[in-house]
Amino acid sequence: MTRLVLTAIRVALGALFLWAAATKLPDLAGFAQDVANYRVLPPILVPYAAAAVVGIEILSGLALVTGAAAKPAALLVAALLVAFIVFLAQALLRGIDLRCGCFGGDEPASWWTVARDLAMLAAAVVVARGSPQQQQGGRTLAT
Amino acid sequence: MVVLARAALLCVAGTVLGIAGNRFTPRPAPLGAPVAASAEQPGAACENPGASVDHISVEEAKPLCLACTAAFIDARSAPEYAAGHVTGALHLPPEGPFEPLLPALRKAPAVIVYDRDRACSAANQVAARLQAYGLRDVRVLTGAWPEWLARGGPGESGACRLCAGDRP
Repeated sequence: MTRLVLTAIRVALGALFLWAAATKLPDLAGFAQDVANYRVLPPILVPYAAAAVVGIEILSGLALVTGAAAKPAALLVAALLVAFIVFLAQALLRGIDLRCGCFGGDEPASWWTVARDLAMLAAAVVVARGSPQQQQGGRTLAT
Repeated sequence: MVVLARAALLCVAGTVLGIAGNRFTPRPAPLGAPVAASAEQPGAACENPGASVDHISVEEAKPLCLACTAAFIDARSAPEYAAGHVTGALHLPPEGPFEPLLPALRKAPAVIVYDRDRACSAANQVAARLQAYGLRDVRVLTGAWPEWLARGGPGESGACRLCAGDRP
């Protein structure tokens, strides 16, 4: 895969995560409610998880867009997407009717949402495998 | 290992950023207070700030069904609909098809949509689509099917003649 394509995927993935965080920031209470509706986490942990997810989305999105710590950020994003997919799938399999809370708005959770997350997971894996390791001092190794 | 350690560090930093920055957002998450699922919050049923569709309570909707002055739409799955639904309700999940039911729905003075869960996500989606098709008085049933059952709303064998026989 060419360096240009890899860079485009990395930047697009980072921008998507920054966009996802930006749509949640105006209403973190609403996002916490969306998280609660998945009925996976204990209610007392839900607001902390909601706030943490947005913080992780911001930092990993920035890291991917700028290319600083791209590989760790891609791994983190992949882990986050696996968690999202598990949350979505269990809700759909249990017949829970809810909005996904992915990009703000009223988008319902569906298997289409799972497919979209799988596509993003594939992109994160590509970035994680293809990105060069960082050297000390922030420079990257040539591949 | 270095990459994993950096990923973990990024995760911790993001968590700290999110939790510390929460208070500076317009509507912060209520840290320290439990947040339960919508369906488990009495009185908060069907409160969906993202939805643009009006709601109607079961108490208001029941007379409309009994008097056949509203068409009811069941937005749940086919097996759920078959197991029990509002008397005379038509089955219309979010994926449709919408067109075959539109002539019947246009004759009804009002359309009331409900689904299985008090979050009303599927019902909101169906209602929004019906509005996009030009239906004016479309509302989502607050509390959904569980609330209808709990408050003794008429079931499948009721006398909602406007809706009965409308299924294609």
